[in-house]
This record gives sequence, structure tokens and C-alpha cells, in this order.
Amino acid sequence: MNLSWVISRNAIRKPWEYEAVLMNAESRKKALHYFYEKVVGPLGFKFTPDEELMNFLLEQEVILENKHGIPFCPCQPLRHNRARDMQIVCPCIPFHRKHFDEIKRCWCGLFVHKDVLDPDKLPQLSPKDVNLE
Amino acid sequence: MKKVNMYTLSTCPWCRKTKNYFTEHKIPFTYIDYDLADEATQSRISDELDAVGATGFPFVKIDDEFIMGYQPERYTKALGI
Amino acid sequence: MKAVELAGNEIVICNCGGNYYAVQRRCGHMNAPLDMGTLDGTYLTCPMHCVQFDVTNGEALSGPVPADFGKETPPPMLGEYFQNVGMLMKHIRTESIRTYETKLAAGWVQIAL
Repeated sequence: MNLSWVISRNAIRKPWEYEAVLMNAESRKKALHYFYEKVVGPLGFKFTPDEELMNFLLEQEVILENKHGIPFCPCQPLRHNRARDMQIVCPCIPFHRKHFDEIKRCWCGLFVHKDVLDPDKLPQLSPKDVNLE
Repeated sequence: MKKVNMYTLSTCPWCRKTKNYFTEHKIPFTYIDYDLADEATQSRISDELDAVGATGFPFVKIDDEFIMGYQPERYTKALGI
Repeated sequence: MKAVELAGNEIVICNCGGNYYAVQRRCGHMNAPLDMGTLDGTYLTCPMHCVQFDVTNGEALSGPVPADFGKETPPPMLGEYFQNVGMLMKHIRTESIRTYETKLAAGWVQIAL
């Protein structure tokens, strides 16, 4: 097996350029899916039934993991402060429990409450929008 | 004409949808992809988000109003269209 | 998991719910002993930097954590160690691990070398 792994430090790449440096993304997605499922289940969440969205988000996480070594949420800002960035490592549900339980989804929508059948009907509301914090 | 500026991420599908909304409604807007910006810009945006307690993208500013999250109905209302 | 040495080869035998797989003991990243890591399903995580492998085919699924230390200031002495490791890590290539064909026979796990 010949896998090429190029680690680029401090190079700001455009998103499409990361394809050239990815390890086998499909294998990594499958592994992430396996680990995440075990974590979010007991929290009352499951993967979104929207498979296209799920695949896209997992791919973005693989890209982020290749860049930073850690699969961060594809929809939240990295603050370059360890304590803060740990709060957006996927799955970040425990750090945003009240908010995500209220909107029945996590911020990027990778996970939804177990009873959700139509994820398109779940708007992306901020904590303020649902009278939290 | 309302001024529309947004902070987004190149890795976020909701940010893409947000940009599409304004494009389709033919509303001009400016945007910065936070993850592709330089350190100084990221720091500035991070401070701006903290000032209003925002924690996620997309972050859309329509004149003085700001909306966190992909919320097309609120955009429509804020734009008055 | 169980680490064994056979004819000079360091190998880790993994029991994944009754299915046996065998992989090289040295992590494809920095040669840490994989038997001291964790096995979950068919995914093995290295104890040194959390590199993950699929033991069914040896594929390296992820690199070390974190990719680099950024601008964070680590604690003084530990920090120096990490800085050095961090500096070395930048030049290290993560490779997949060799696997060995296995066969169960009369209560023994046989490994083809």
C-alpha cells in the first residue's frame, strides 16, 4: 500500500487543494462515523438522516483533521486558544448541550435528536434566538 | 439599499447556502471566509463575535442587525423584501 | 491485544470480537508500541500521539494529534520536550503498517511471516 501523506505547515490552502494531501478520506470518514455514533447515542442524538449533508460535513472534518490534527466543527471558528478550541472538537454536543437540545440539532447539523425525521425543518438558531444565555 | 457583510467558513455548507440566498435575491454583499483569512483578520473577527456573544457561522450583518446561522426568513425580513 | 515476537518480528495480535488480526508492533508514525494503545472494533489507536489504524488492512487513518503546537506556550520543561518532539514530528511521515495473514488452528493463532 502506498499512501502519500504531506503535512503542510503554515501554508494557507484553498479548500480544493486539500484533496491532494488527503489520506484515503473514505476510510477516515468511516472511522469517524464509527466513533461518533458511540458518543452521540447516549446523549440522545444520531447522525442526520440527510446523507448528503452528513457525507459533506464528514469530508470537511477529514480536511480539518488533516490540517490541524483534530476534527473540528466545520461551521464554528477556531480561536487558536486551546481551551476554547477544545469546545468545538466534534462531537461538540456536551459543550453546547442546552443550545443543541433546544434546537434539536448540533450547529453544523451533523447530528440531530433521535426523533428527528425531517432535518430540513430544523432551522439553525443561535442561543439568543431560543432565549438561552 | 442595505449594507450586507458576512463572516463565513469555506468548510461550512450553511455559509454556502447563505451566500446563495443573497446572490439569488440579487442583493450585493461582501464576505470574509474566516478560515482563509490572515491572523490579524481572524483576530479582529473573533473579537467582533465575542463582543456580541456569537459563536458560529454564518454571521450576517444587514446594516446594524446581525444574524447568526442560516436563517433566510430573517434575512428577508431584515432586508425588507 | 497481545504483543509477541516471532523470528525477530514484533507483532501485535488483535482480537476483534473473535476475528483475529495481526499488525506490526511499531506505530507507522513514530514506532511507539501499539499494543499499549487501545483497540475499538477494528480501530487501533496509538498511545503516543493517537494515530489510528484499521487493523484489517493496516491503513493509517489519521496523523498525530495535534498536527502542530501552534503558538500556545507549553509549561517550561515539559514544553521543551514537546517543542522538540513537535519539531521532529514535522518531518516524520506516517506510514501504514504491515499486516500478517492469520489462521486459527487448534487453539493457536498462526501467523504467516
